[in-house]
Amino acid sequence: MTWLRDLGLGIRFAAAGGREGWARTALTAVGVGLGVALLLVASSVPHLLDERSARSDARYEATDSRNADSAKKSDTSVLRIDAETEYRGHTVGGFVMRAEGAHPLTPPGVAEFPAPGEMVVSPALKELLASSEGKLLKERLPYRISGTIADTGLLSPGEMYFYVGSDTLTQAGGGHRLTGYGVDPQDTALSPVLVVLIIIICVVLLVPVAIFIATAVRFGGERRDRRLAALRLVGTDIRQTRRIAAGEALFGSLVGLLVGGALFLVGRRFVGSVELWNHSAFPSDLAPATWLAALVVVAVPLSAVLVTLVAMRSVVIEPLGVVRHAGSRGRRLWWRLLVPVAGLAVLVSTGKVGQFEPVNPYPIAGGAVLVLFGLALLLPWLVEAAVKRLRGGPLPWQLAIRRLQLNSGAASRAVSGITVAVAGAVALQMMFAAVGDEFDEMTGQDPSRAQFHTFSELVDGDAAARTIEAFQATKGVETVIGTVEAYVLKPGKPKDPDDMQPVTSLTVGDCATLRELADIGSCRDGDVFVAHPKNDKEQADWIDQTARKGKEVELNSAFADVPGAKSQLWTLPADARTVRAGLDPLGSEHWGILATVGALDPRTLPSAQTIAQIRIDESVPDAAEHVRNTAARIDPGMRVATLTSVTRDRQYASVQTGLRLGAAATLALIALSMLVNQLEQLRERKRLLSVLVAFGTKRVTLGWSVLWQTAVPVVVGILVAIVGGTGLGVVLTWMLDKPVTEWWLFLPLAGAGGGLIVAVTLLSLPLLWRLMRPDGLRTE
Amino acid sequence: MTPAGSLLVAQDLHKTYGSTPALDGASFSVHPGEVVAVMGPSGSGKSTLLHCLAGIVTPDAGTITYGGREISAMSDAERSALRRTDFGFVFQFGQLVPELTCLENTALPLRLNGVRRKDAERTAREWLERLEIDGIAAQRPGEVSGGQGQRVAVARALVASPKVVFADEPTGALDSLNGERVMELLTESARSANTAVVLVTHEARVAAYSDRDIVVRDGRARDLEHAV
Repeated sequence: MTWLRDLGLGIRFAAAGGREGWARTALTAVGVGLGVALLLVASSVPHLLDERSARSDARYEATDSRNADSAKKSDTSVLRIDAETEYRGHTVGGFVMRAEGAHPLTPPGVAEFPAPGEMVVSPALKELLASSEGKLLKERLPYRISGTIADTGLLSPGEMYFYVGSDTLTQAGGGHRLTGYGVDPQDTALSPVLVVLIIIICVVLLVPVAIFIATAVRFGGERRDRRLAALRLVGTDIRQTRRIAAGEALFGSLVGLLVGGALFLVGRRFVGSVELWNHSAFPSDLAPATWLAALVVVAVPLSAVLVTLVAMRSVVIEPLGVVRHAGSRGRRLWWRLLVPVAGLAVLVSTGKVGQFEPVNPYPIAGGAVLVLFGLALLLPWLVEAAVKRLRGGPLPWQLAIRRLQLNSGAASRAVSGITVAVAGAVALQMMFAAVGDEFDEMTGQDPSRAQFHTFSELVDGDAAARTIEAFQATKGVETVIGTVEAYVLKPGKPKDPDDMQPVTSLTVGDCATLRELADIGSCRDGDVFVAHPKNDKEQADWIDQTARKGKEVELNSAFADVPGAKSQLWTLPADARTVRAGLDPLGSEHWGILATVGALDPRTLPSAQTIAQIRIDESVPDAAEHVRNTAARIDPGMRVATLTSVTRDRQYASVQTGLRLGAAATLALIALSMLVNQLEQLRERKRLLSVLVAFGTKRVTLGWSVLWQTAVPVVVGILVAIVGGTGLGVVLTWMLDKPVTEWWLFLPLAGAGGGLIVAVTLLSLPLLWRLMRPDGLRTE
Repeated sequence: MTPAGSLLVAQDLHKTYGSTPALDGASFSVHPGEVVAVMGPSGSGKSTLLHCLAGIVTPDAGTITYGGREISAMSDAERSALRRTDFGFVFQFGQLVPELTCLENTALPLRLNGVRRKDAERTAREWLERLEIDGIAAQRPGEVSGGQGQRVAVARALVASPKVVFADEPTGALDSLNGERVMELLTESARSANTAVVLVTHEARVAAYSDRDIVVRDGRARDLEHAV
């Protein structure tokens, strides 16, 4: 009862404490509110991912439909071809679709099947197409917009997606029959390495938020202590004052919960219009998991009370209004050291994570939390030990050091968030560097020779030749390695019906193009070559079974097994030279028959593929978009791939994106915490600053003093973060059974810490200048 | 008309805070080595007069001349430099920097003037000895009594050998015994260094240490011995 009465008294002081009481409550509430809003966003992530997956599954082709036997033409069936494209670095997904009956299936979010020449688009795409920014894309998608895709058919509000109606798409032209939408939720198990990464990311991002909340409930503490001293004078004992202080913090945290809830609800309404690194979310996706939200609601006020009670133990409030910090007692090292060591021990005892075994997340999360909290606990001791040894120096330095020597607790608390964030980020970066190779795949592609690869199949030779000409005429295109390719057979039936019909590829192009594909040496139009792979005699022999010099080859590959197909024979010249195949820009080896256009007119080929590997002049604006527009004009289903030397696993890439988003939010929160702390200290020293002005103290002297006062704890904090983060990184990397590949990853993070020092100092200066006025000397 | 031989002269000062007039035609002068008490009830404008004289606050109207230079026409940087080199201050509650030791607090004006730390602290220690508080040199303000703290403030005001010391209720927070001792030390030290003292007080007991009294009432200063 006494407890409740004292807590209630504290709440009443906070609520009815006049301007000062409300100012303190507001400070705490805004701080706690920001932390709570971030926690609510974090607790919404599982729901957000579930909703996205559900919508993705719903628009996926049904499993039955993918079975050729069950996918029969019907009143509802649809032919479609993937027409995904890219526009200025953004993916624009979509399909070209043709109804096969009167009642075609519509994808989720689409009310009416688009008529030929019309399209249904997502709101983001509609907006882009309507703007001058989307002018080039409009050329690629010149269809009339007949409707908008509803939210149920989109992964996110920013997604650019379309469905185009067609009356010309055929199966022969690449169309695929679809008889149903929606698949059961796929349980794609994450790789154990990714599980560990995600656990550590959650810990790294949420521990600083927890620390920030703990710091926020102590905002305005010095003023509160003076008020409590007055209560001591009228008879409250030390324990009561602690409980009253806890009551004040409880009130602040409860208001903070409301503020956080309000910030979350208001922020959620605008989340759809916010896009970070091409990611956005529907407001309805951002719904916290009930048990996580309940945990936040209980844990935040409880931790506010506990933090205050613990903090008040180091403060002696005396009845005469004298508040002395019991700092002279000195901080003890042993138990502070014990926490991170225990964390490391938990991680080491968990052992290495198996490649295919399920991961138990709890000891990993627990160990990492202990290490990071341990670093936050070590920091006050280390800052105190460091500043105790500092002597001399110029006046601003002396003022800052003496201030920290007198009381470094507040500064350490403000910095502990940055220490934990940087330590966690260092460990994570080390893990990312160590496991990155596992998720990066060398493609073998050579972007220096060509940046784009286009491919269309089942076209006749004439169309293929026109395709290459069209790309050559496209604005910004430097060279086109354009080939028309087909499979050719050895004429006649094999002796044994079980034997395979000898077959090889035929590639037709000009001399310059063929030179890109094989070591052909001299070449004139009309020449023909037989390209053998390097160091593969068996394959070379197989090629030679078809490519017999001076003998005929069957150009119609369908002749062997399609009834009614007509034979089309061509004689491989007797003087065709055998050459060694090389790698094209895509990294593929071209072997078989290589013929110049003069030797074999590609227009005569009955069935061919067109492959164009295109190099653009990157100085021409939007050259890539012109290439894609040409491709879409020729065939909306033609895929244009960008050549890269490395591809990155999508899941891995999205985890990395999540880390960047979270780290940005955490660092912003920490900077805010440091700034509030700094401003509060300055306000506390208003009168003293006025006195120093009276002495003629220069602004620059006090400005430097503020800088050093911020910098010293931050530098100590970053050193702790580097050592602790590297230690944690080494252990985690060892757990993943990977070697540490990068030791200097902390440098950019240390730089970010330096940036924070400068930012906080600069943002404090306006108040410092304002306080350095003689008004503070006035008492009346 | 400026009184002959005056070090610091103010004429017809006006200063208003919001709609409240603090000074309304106040005039004042002090000679080198002279101790002048500025007396008056609370809210009469005596502290504002001191702040104007010291160049901390700029008057709305009127002139302040120090050593032939007009303070009210100086820039903020020039006035700051003047306060560092020529003026010293003692406030009611000492207003020592809590994180610095008493020795470092005393040395502060010298360090602000660019004197090297060791030299500044040597001079500061001499002043602490003169004021009989060298035993608390290494202690912080929070660890010493009010009287000791105020003596540190006096030492700090005199350490840079200023021409004028401005003291605003220097004994207001002390008991009578301590207050008298602080006044004795302040006035003796100032007189021996030929430093003028402008002493704001409302206690006749404190004003008794002065050579001359000026009464401020309703923002106007009246010299009790000779009109300015």
